[in-house]
Amino acid sequence: MTVRIAGMGWVTPLGAGLEEVWERLLAGHVAEPKTIQNPETGRMHQYLAAPAKACERLARHPRLRRSSAISLYAASAAFDALADAGVEMTPATAERTAVVFAISSGGVVYTRRFYEQIVKQGPSGASPLLFPETVYNAPASHLAALLGVDGASYTLVGDGAVGLRAVRFAQQLLASGEVDRCIVAGAEEIDWILCEAYGDWRLLTNHPAAAVFPERPRGAILAEGAAALVLAREGGRAEISEIHTGVSFSSRAEAAAAVDRVCGELVAPEAQAVISSANGTFVDELEAQAIARHSPRAEVYAPKASLGEALGAGAIMQLAIGALSLRGRLPSTPRDQSAGPTRLRVTRDPQATLPLESVLVLSTGWNQQACGARLAAVD
Amino acid sequence: MPSSLSRPLRVAVTGLGVVSPLGWGAEQTRAALRQGRDCVSEVTDFDVAGCRSHTAGRVDTAEGPELQRVPHREALHPASKMMVAATRDALGEKSAQPEAMVIGTTSGGMGYGEAFYRAQLERRPNRRRAGWLANYLPQKPALDAQRECGFSAPIDIIANACASGTNALGHAFGLIRSGQARAVLCGGYDVISELVFVGFDSLQAATPEKIRPFDKDRTGLVLGEGAAMFMLESWDAARERGAEILAEITGYGISTDNHHLTQPHPSGIGPLQAMRRALSSAGRQPEEVDYVNAHGTATTFNDATEGAAIAELFGTRAAVSSTKSMMGHALGAAGAIEAAFCMLALQDGFLPPNINLQELDPSLRIDLIANQTRAGECQVAISNSFGFGGTNAAIVIERPSFSS
Repeated sequence: MTVRIAGMGWVTPLGAGLEEVWERLLAGHVAEPKTIQNPETGRMHQYLAAPAKACERLARHPRLRRSSAISLYAASAAFDALADAGVEMTPATAERTAVVFAISSGGVVYTRRFYEQIVKQGPSGASPLLFPETVYNAPASHLAALLGVDGASYTLVGDGAVGLRAVRFAQQLLASGEVDRCIVAGAEEIDWILCEAYGDWRLLTNHPAAAVFPERPRGAILAEGAAALVLAREGGRAEISEIHTGVSFSSRAEAAAAVDRVCGELVAPEAQAVISSANGTFVDELEAQAIARHSPRAEVYAPKASLGEALGAGAIMQLAIGALSLRGRLPSTPRDQSAGPTRLRVTRDPQATLPLESVLVLSTGWNQQACGARLAAVD
Repeated sequence: MPSSLSRPLRVAVTGLGVVSPLGWGAEQTRAALRQGRDCVSEVTDFDVAGCRSHTAGRVDTAEGPELQRVPHREALHPASKMMVAATRDALGEKSAQPEAMVIGTTSGGMGYGEAFYRAQLERRPNRRRAGWLANYLPQKPALDAQRECGFSAPIDIIANACASGTNALGHAFGLIRSGQARAVLCGGYDVISELVFVGFDSLQAATPEKIRPFDKDRTGLVLGEGAAMFMLESWDAARERGAEILAEITGYGISTDNHHLTQPHPSGIGPLQAMRRALSSAGRQPEEVDYVNAHGTATTFNDATEGAAIAELFGTRAAVSSTKSMMGHALGAAGAIEAAFCMLALQDGFLPPNINLQELDPSLRIDLIANQTRAGECQVAISNSFGFGGTNAAIVIERPSFSS
């Protein structure tokens, strides 16, 4: 079953409005990193922060007063997506609406703080106000409460490709006939412990920008933010004509075959453009090989060069970018950040009009899965 | 349901694997359930001196007989050991090929995250840190189970707090029933960690005493751990290939109670909606239900609201127990483990008890199976799971009927 994207919203390191960020991407803007310090070791990390003002309108809401930033990002993106779709949440609407949430690290700030209290102050010093916000589904719960959704609400956890799993999950709910629309949201927040973790895996760079498709990968920059889609069976501005079932992998050696399979099974007919999840790590080479093999003439855009690696939110941002690009323009992958290999047609000219009818979104996680989806313009 | 289907497909359970404090595998579990064995013990692997509660239902992951055949068992995460064993049992000797894996959990490998944080405090490199991180990820035990059991399938990890296990079964049920998949492996796992243990303690939800669900003087929950896995197939496909059908899943309901992140609405509307939706999905009336495996955490709020909802829907017609009284609350695994308990009870014609009961809460007009296993044929069971975030799920499980 195909599903339609009826509305989109996001909170990104380049801003929060759908059109505002899209214009900045078309203009080739790259988010500026901030630094965060590990207070235990003094080690500095860089990351891409979401703009604080993006969530001001929700910060005083009683339900969100004590919540972590991740819940604010998600709610902000979801409200924007609903407004974009022209959906007003009434009790009748809410009854036929599901929330599907994608997350990788989740409420990592409160989780680290809560455990820090246990270690440094003992169990009696651990605040009961923090613990409930550590559960993975806290952001989805807040969102469902704000929207009045009293039916299906699911949180899926995975790696950076989990956003596409969430879209597929929503497609399954829509296909079952149990709901008429799904709000698919992905969100992440950044803490120093997260930077330490991915840093230990040598997946992060301390260069001021991530270089995508480089000769030698030097690492990604983690980003915070959220993205949300309103999915429905009909209407909308773009169609998700196919979502791959996804391929799991346990090692980087298996990942190459997984990405190749996803790309190969989605490209017929050959994709005109690919929104890649290249982020400056081993992922880039895997996707470059697969695209070069299966869709060598496609224009390739890698938005994580500008927006960073937002993990649970990343693939949903890519889908939004894919849907926006069906209007006929594709942003450039920042020229001075990319050592684009000659075998790929990495996008360079955002002013060129591309009569795109179909766009492929590829998402390769760091730890679990490769996924993909094909988007088509709606007449 | 897709328009190509004129009616929903029946959903058969053709494989079951369970690891819990009650035992490794169906036979040990069945025996302990029948006995109403108390499997809660002292927690010794982290410091609980500053906590109200000192006990939990633990699984000895060093002893699992299923693991003797696992080549890399020394290196496996405790959750992976349980998942490997449960998955292997669920797949059995001649399983269908799973097209997807849907797993529920709440905290993944939180214990490894804790080790990583403590290593930061030591301020020196630790070569084991990368391995801890790999095991921290909630998808790791599912990937380990796939590798050890020799198959690969897309994985969805549902983290809906303590309803996750039932949500995983429910979603897999929906995929088969609507014809979107032919065979799905589903279930849940969770392992106790210090952060989660102290977390429930900090909320004063954990008890220093025995866990006494639905008791007048209940004082809270104890935590548990474990894993359970199921192979779900379309009934007709299972029959065609001659598979043994262990149970039928006939209904699933989900609701979200938006009252509070950690407390249910006092009216019990969330549990009531989930159970009503599950019964409606199953095409069953409340009076047709023989047994309710309650969420029954023994917290003041849960048991009051769930008990009221059960009483409103079933009165005293259905027998009720919380099997958490025997092993504690296994969080994201609880729904899957308790579904396994229901299936074993339906197969063998007994109803597992609600142990440690001293006096039933007088405000609850329910037929609680107090302390002793009850013999008797049972056709239809419903299993409840509710979690933080107001997430509620219920699933209807039936003895397989070959007459229709």
